[in-house]
Amino acid sequence: MTVRVLSHQEMNIDNEDDVVLVRRAVRTLAEARGFDSFAVSALTTAATELSRNVWVHARKGKAFIEEVTDGDRTGIQVEFVDQGPGIPDIEWSMAGGHSTAKSLGLGLSGSKRLVDAFHIESEPGKGTRVRITKWKRF
Amino acid sequence: MPNSRDYMARLGFDAQELSSRRHFFQLTDEDLARLAALRPFAERHNDAIIDAFYNELLLQHPESRLFFTDQAVFRRAVTAQKRYFLQLFSGVCDLDYMEDRLRVGTTHQRIGVAPKWYLGAYAHYLRLISSHLFREQGSSPDSELSNRSIQKIVFFDMSIAIETYIAAGVEAIQRHQSAIRELSTPVIQISERVLLLPLIGTIDTVRAQQVMEKMLARVVEAQARVIILDIAGVPVVDTRVANHLLQTTEAVRLLGATTILTGIRAQVAQTLVQLGVDLSTMHTCSSLQEGLEMALSMTGRAITTRGA
Ligand SMILES: Nc1ncnc2c1ncn2[C@@H]1O[C@H](COP(=O)(O)OP(=O)(O)OP(=O)(O)O)[C@@H](O)[C@H]1O
Ligand SMILES: [Mg+2]
Repeated sequence: MTVRVLSHQEMNIDNEDDVVLVRRAVRTLAEARGFDSFAVSALTTAATELSRNVWVHARKGKAFIEEVTDGDRTGIQVEFVDQGPGIPDIEWSMAGGHSTAKSLGLGLSGSKRLVDAFHIESEPGKGTRVRITKWKRF
Repeated sequence: MPNSRDYMARLGFDAQELSSRRHFFQLTDEDLARLAALRPFAERHNDAIIDAFYNELLLQHPESRLFFTDQAVFRRAVTAQKRYFLQLFSGVCDLDYMEDRLRVGTTHQRIGVAPKWYLGAYAHYLRLISSHLFREQGSSPDSELSNRSIQKIVFFDMSIAIETYIAAGVEAIQRHQSAIRELSTPVIQISERVLLLPLIGTIDTVRAQQVMEKMLARVVEAQARVIILDIAGVPVVDTRVANHLLQTTEAVRLLGATTILTGIRAQVAQTLVQLGVDLSTMHTCSSLQEGLEMALSMTGRAITTRGA
């Protein structure tokens, strides 16, 4: 399955307000492309979680918001990239309920359930990269 | 109103900034010495220059004139301007000097003198000074150098005043924002023992804290038994907001009261389930109406139809 990028947008995340700006950009795009309200809610919530993770755990990073197509469907893909401390044990962090920030620890695991595709890679000391995709339902 | 010391610190106006700025403006010790030597000239022409400045420029200009409708204000401005003028020729350019120039910026911001008026007026002011200088001392390499030193210090001053003006404007906006934040978290008393807190907009860390504190204070003050948190106006309920709601519920419980969460849209409900957030410690209702009924019945009251 080849995925083609139709539009691309890049945003910096280096303060708490940026989390809101990323979320708004994702919401605006999803609504403009006719995603249903449940999908909009799921995608914007996942984008909020992941951009907040960048801000809270890595202090700065970027969000790449892309509109993609695989030939049949349109989707929105958002990638969050930071050069923060990285995640030493991805399995532990993805299990849900584990947090190094005294929070609920549901951001990563919950985001995964909110989207259609979820990809995470992280290296301690190097940074973290999370990519999510949500396809538009017919 | 922050004082000018705070501003100095916040804008990073310290000894290092002073020397780097002086370097950039090429405001050297020789310039300062030349300015100090011009002090007698400045004293001789102070009245003429400032009076001309006010009478020719400011009072001829309808919008500037509006700043000086009050005679006392006008006299105070003229006195301040004369003092300011002499300071240009003090031969000193240290942190106190910087602080003084910074006050020009904060004052202008406060009374609403926009940079365009300030710059326009200063250009005129500079022309007045030059023409007095050349008229008295003739055109010579020496008076050219004096004129250049005056220009340097004037531009140096303007850079500080304008930077401060902008910073003061930004701060004013921030103050307004925090005021709006407070306004947007009203705690409404529904009945003797029931409080309603409609949450609206994005709940960031600062606001979450404010909302929580304000509400807990009211719970104690009103001896409330039930607190309704309405989230119909919150665009996204993520783990951050959920965590905040759970903590609030816990704190309210410690005060002997109960929380009811209302205004949960279907999309939000589904998202919360997928996120894995467990709100089972809270009473929840989809609509505010139902929440109100629940709250009143919890406190031994009811909504009834009249005459029924
Ligand atoms: N970008 C990141 N950089 C470094 N560590 C991260 C990053 N994202 C997540 N983590 C780690 O993974 C853990 C789990 O993340 P998750 O988002 O699930 O929970 P959380 O952020 O701690 O709390 P919340 O439930 O409020 O999101 C975090 O506590 C943190 O240790
Ligand atoms: Mg998180």
